[in-house]
Amino acid sequence: MSIDPFTLEVIRNGLSAIAEEMSLVVMRSARSPLLREAGDLSSALTDRDGLLIAQGQDIPMHMGVMSFTVQEFLKIVPRDRLRPGDVWLLNLPQVGGNHLPDVKAIRPVFSGDRIVAFAVSLAHWADVGGAAPGSYYAAAYDAWQEGLRIPPLRIITAEGPDEEKLAMVLANVRGPDERRGDILAQVAATRAADRRFAEMFARYGTDEVEQAFAALHDRAERQMRAAIAALPDGVYEGEDFMDDDGHGGPPTAVRVTLSIAGEEAVLDFSASDDAVPGPINTTRFITAASVYYVMKAICGPEIQASAGCYRPLKIVTRPGSILDAPADKPVVGGNHETAQRVADAVFLAFAKFAPEKLSAGGPTTAGLLIFGGHREDGTWTTFYEVHGGGEGARADRDGMPAIRAHMANVMGTPAEVVEAEYPIRVERQEILRGTGGKGKHIGGDGLRRVYRARVDGLTLTTMCERMVIPPYGLEGGEAGAPYRLTLARADGTEVALPGKTNLRIAKGDRVIAESSGGGGYGQI
Amino acid sequence: MAPIWRVGIDIGGTFTDVVASDLAGGAVRAAKVPSVPGDPVTALVAALAAVGLTWDGVAELVHGTTMVTNAIGESRFSKTALVATEGFTDTLDIGRMSRDNLYRLDLLPKAPALVPPALRFPVAERMLHDGSVDLALTEAEADRIADAVAASGAESVAVCLLHAYRNPAHEILLGERLARRVPRVALSHRISPEQREYERMNTTVLSAAVMRRVQDYLGRIGERRPEGSRFHFFHSAGGMAAIGSVADHPLMLAMSGPAAGVAASARIAAQIRDEIGTDRALTFDMGGTTTDVCLVVDGAAQVRSDHRLGRYRIRLPILAVESIGAGGGSIARLDSGALLVGPQSAGAAPGPACYGRGGADATVSDADLILGYLEPGRRLGNALTLDLTRAEAAVQPIAEGAGVSVAEAALGIARVTHANMVRALRRITVERGVDGRSCPLIAFGGAGPMHAVEVARAYGIRTVVVPALSSGFSALGCVSARMRYGRQQTVGMASDGWDPTAACAARDAIIDELTTELRNAEGTTGVELTVEVVASLRYRGQSDAIEIADPSLGDAERLGTAFRARHDALYGFSTDEPWELAALRVAVSGPEQASVTPAVETRAAPEGTRRCVFEEGGVIDTVCLNRAALAPGDWRQGPAIIEDEWSTIVVPPRERFRVDGFGHVHIEVAQVDGAQVEGASA
Repeated sequence: MSIDPFTLEVIRNGLSAIAEEMSLVVMRSARSPLLREAGDLSSALTDRDGLLIAQGQDIPMHMGVMSFTVQEFLKIVPRDRLRPGDVWLLNLPQVGGNHLPDVKAIRPVFSGDRIVAFAVSLAHWADVGGAAPGSYYAAAYDAWQEGLRIPPLRIITAEGPDEEKLAMVLANVRGPDERRGDILAQVAATRAADRRFAEMFARYGTDEVEQAFAALHDRAERQMRAAIAALPDGVYEGEDFMDDDGHGGPPTAVRVTLSIAGEEAVLDFSASDDAVPGPINTTRFITAASVYYVMKAICGPEIQASAGCYRPLKIVTRPGSILDAPADKPVVGGNHETAQRVADAVFLAFAKFAPEKLSAGGPTTAGLLIFGGHREDGTWTTFYEVHGGGEGARADRDGMPAIRAHMANVMGTPAEVVEAEYPIRVERQEILRGTGGKGKHIGGDGLRRVYRARVDGLTLTTMCERMVIPPYGLEGGEAGAPYRLTLARADGTEVALPGKTNLRIAKGDRVIAESSGGGGYGQI
Repeated sequence: MAPIWRVGIDIGGTFTDVVASDLAGGAVRAAKVPSVPGDPVTALVAALAAVGLTWDGVAELVHGTTMVTNAIGESRFSKTALVATEGFTDTLDIGRMSRDNLYRLDLLPKAPALVPPALRFPVAERMLHDGSVDLALTEAEADRIADAVAASGAESVAVCLLHAYRNPAHEILLGERLARRVPRVALSHRISPEQREYERMNTTVLSAAVMRRVQDYLGRIGERRPEGSRFHFFHSAGGMAAIGSVADHPLMLAMSGPAAGVAASARIAAQIRDEIGTDRALTFDMGGTTTDVCLVVDGAAQVRSDHRLGRYRIRLPILAVESIGAGGGSIARLDSGALLVGPQSAGAAPGPACYGRGGADATVSDADLILGYLEPGRRLGNALTLDLTRAEAAVQPIAEGAGVSVAEAALGIARVTHANMVRALRRITVERGVDGRSCPLIAFGGAGPMHAVEVARAYGIRTVVVPALSSGFSALGCVSARMRYGRQQTVGMASDGWDPTAACAARDAIIDELTTELRNAEGTTGVELTVEVVASLRYRGQSDAIEIADPSLGDAERLGTAFRARHDALYGFSTDEPWELAALRVAVSGPEQASVTPAVETRAAPEGTRRCVFEEGGVIDTVCLNRAALAPGDWRQGPAIIEDEWSTIVVPPRERFRVDGFGHVHIEVAQVDGAQVEGASA
């Protein structure tokens, strides 16, 4: 017996409300500034098999991760080990994950003695240990240098926290008090979901709710099928490049062959280059997230967040490649850098037959700077900042300046907050006019922000792309200007900084971030 | 005869509501007239005439208006210049870098800057976050800037210097020089004295850009209103403001109308506190295209600082009204096996299918007509007749698609609409750590009383209150408003470097400033003022803050104890780490107005019946009552339809209702099995 379209929508609304509530709980009570100021978190609900049925804050990067985390978790933890009241922590990239700082808290939701759903709270911890503060170690050549690796770990039971395990985790991360606050916030979020699910089961009956889950998968599948059917059949190739191999080597290719046949599509990334030495490898889960984002942006912004949307898509990655890297490879930057290049490559495949639906190349990198060190009063601090660039132009308009693109949408930090909270001065923030690519429509301009260290001994981490391979133009439009990072020492010397590095800077040194311009569209 | 009437007039997009209260005799009159676009004075005079008054009979008029909202929505801005610290004039373009819509690549990802680069003037000066001067502003530089802005032909200028919320000296000097050369000047430390340069700059620029429009409006009213009558505005933070304050701070009017309705609800929450057993409430204002909800705690509507006006991100303490794009005109459609309601709306034109003005899409109002909640054949306003046949024809395809009857489809549309509303109510309560089920739902607006019971049931709320004068509720909010000025100021003082004298001085400076401004307004000589202070406290590294009312700023230890207790209550933990005073919010108010209660007409009105369809109970011949004829008294069992000229209250079969001594209709909502009251959330 199938569920009626009204009850389906009422339950779907209820599920979204649960996921939204989870995100609000984390934002209110978590301690990492990333979670509170930038909203770098996600909440998701899955059915009993771990298939995604609802998501709170819709961060495209987290979508794929959430679609696979519980499925992969269940391959490791047998269902009969799960108990009401459990919360499990997990951050291993190969278990439905992305990178170590994104830690997931998973709670099985029971109705009586059977598992009906899972609630997952993902939060980006400001630090998860490893060689560098902020857990972005640019020089990493293996996975263990990147921080604490947490396989499925039952941290909470119905009796309360497992203090020994908690202590083990907290002993291996910087800022243990803050991290403890983050964990408790994530646990509280899953508890809220558990309570709301209980109400929903009481109101509609568990069976009807499970019918709704199935109907939601089917609905997302139908939406995705309709979106694919509207595309012309054919085989299209797309290719884009990472600036390097993560350690300053040659550019690394991300390649896709997009085969559209009727209502189904195959996206084969096998021709992408091998895994690289530096920390820009990534997982097949992130690859799937990027594909889903592009399909939704091009074909159907209304496609709902449900695992059913993957049914008509076959996503092929080659084990050993940069997009499906061996478990011992470092991955921290791949989460937001390589993910963006996957999206770019798929967009460029679409450019072969539907350029009018696309934007030219944009700032598909976090443009990430992390400053770590002591304030004037001796307290420890980490400042994590992203830098948007010029939006790519479109067939009908110019690009806008200074914006985040595609897989990421984390906000920037105001200069007044930077100066009040961190031992850093912001000397300028301005638009770099003329950096957008020329064309019939012009790419948006990048920005320049100048930071000056007020204390000695700060560490600086960079994680930035589009410095070598600039944002592409479309249909004869020119590429935008590339990102540039410059260190201007207090003694007057200037050096260009690489996109992935860790170094120390001294009081009075300036770090100048200049973000990319957007690609132009159409010949002039 | 000396004027004796106090009048509230809310000019909305479609209708102007008026409520007049006789200060001597206690009589109350109310009316609704069509709005007159572009001619507010005529609209005001027409509204007065509708309640049998002329301006000469008015002692005090309190006005709510959507003028600023409309000006922003339609981008009617005057030529505005920006003066900012050298190196930071492009902050307006950069914003916070995030895009508004994740997947719609075709749309502009954020609002374009309001001031073009040619009208941005960098000034050589620099303050630091502790208020110290890094680069002093010279008088010569201030004069140079004033000359350059004047030469640009700008009608208004916004000044936003880095860290001016901490030390405004440079803005003050620039303001003084600019005021001699440019017609209108907005200074960021006056408009929004808060940290975060983009939000402060945007708020200041937006203020400057609508200032001329607002001042022209005030001028036209000034020409017409009689000498000696008092004229005030209802402002976004929930209170009255004088004309002079609005002229300098036009964004005070940004949420004027909705704020008035919410403020009136807060009064009612206080009025019925003893009967309901709580002074918390949720307000539910459902209209044709949007629904506004707001949380009232301790008898006061919640205030929030971060808002969006149109696409512009601003920072001002404004009532925390959450708007969702769903109302009577929202369009229902089947999409891939689910029934969706909104966000598309049939609006006022063509309107719902039942209006017979060419709309063919099924809307929530069409469902209401099919269910019998709206009366078929009823005339609305002057021209409109509700056409059941058209409504049924519009809903028919949905019914076919879902394999149900037209009535079942209409019920389904209503259910989905209610689910949308519940989600919004949950957001505003979860955000504040409040269990919304313990709050009565105060329903008003054109469609609010029709849908309130099912929304309440879906959420687990047990009491719905439809206040007297619910269809002109914002006007009631205006007429019962008191003078009230508020301001939020960033402070940033840490507990381990606490300076009690400085903390108290910061508070007292805001109080003095607000008191002076309030004393300058009409009709405030000799009245007693009350002061409310709220401190925003947080642990270092947190960005959201916890609000503590009436903070003991002179005693950091006591304040810290209060903070930790509240943190623990809200989040389930607290620590002994240092905390900081992020901001102070102060409100200074005049005395409360006496409550305005309409007399109940005791004339008997004929009771009719009509066939209604209910979620629980099916098709029932339902008694239709005239609201004006309902006397206060005992509980009565539903089902019932209670109508006045402009709105309809639906009481389903399982509910009981009664009218209280203030004329408010109380409805006791039967609960769904299994919906238990939750514990403290989070």
